[in-house]
Amino acid sequence: MILRRRRPHAFERDGDRTAIRLGDDERSMLVDLAGQFRAVVVDDADPDLRRLYPTAYPDDPERDADYSGLVHDDLVRTRIAAADTVMATAGAVSLDADQLAAWMQVLNGLRLLLGTRLNLSEADEFDPDADDAPTRALLSWLGFLLEEAVVAASADLGCA
Amino acid sequence: MSPAPVPLGVEDTDLEDDEVVDADRPWIVLVWNDPINLMSYVSHVFQKLFGYSKAKADRLMLDVHEKGRAVVSNGAREKAEMDVFRLHEHGLWATMQRDD
Repeated sequence: MILRRRRPHAFERDGDRTAIRLGDDERSMLVDLAGQFRAVVVDDADPDLRRLYPTAYPDDPERDADYSGLVHDDLVRTRIAAADTVMATAGAVSLDADQLAAWMQVLNGLRLLLGTRLNLSEADEFDPDADDAPTRALLSWLGFLLEEAVVAASADLGCA
Repeated sequence: MSPAPVPLGVEDTDLEDDEVVDADRPWIVLVWNDPINLMSYVSHVFQKLFGYSKAKADRLMLDVHEKGRAVVSNGAREKAEMDVFRLHEHGLWATMQRDD
């Protein structure tokens, strides 16, 4: 198991809102990443997107094609909207519940994309000298943010 | 799934196990293990989408992690498809099949 080094909270619950405790560098990094995510999710041909648009009926290609035809555009739209929300609110003091959910969708979507590109497995150990170390570090940072967001968003559960 | 940095607060494991498989409902929704999704996030999504208690969501999440998959919901085909869609929207690896 991985025990992450303690660092200041990225998000802090403040009543029904969630305060963002990130520095300017981190905020602009997120704007950049959300912009890349937005550009990539519309590219149907990118095989690294397979975890974002999975198969629903693994044993029934016909039904799966129907499902995919029905939902694909909606999945793309919701991801574009979430990326837009992150870019629009990256400089904000705090987020409402819907905005926080959009952040989580983008943080997790970016992790799926990067993890697929890295061909990640659960047994992988971080090697700082490996060629893909920067991407792995980024994946880890996004994971830290998502963990923090999950804690903050748990206060919104049960009141939907 | 990636291990969470803190131990999961799995309590109330003696909670009544509301059976997710019902003979009258022919479709089941499965969530599969993957090396990317965070354990805490997966549990959060189960609570958010299905209204499950934290204890039940954690138990399902651990089933996914340890057994490779878990049945997270069931129902008529349209309902199961909507559940799969919402899980896909949240980045989880979900499939559906007839319960046989």
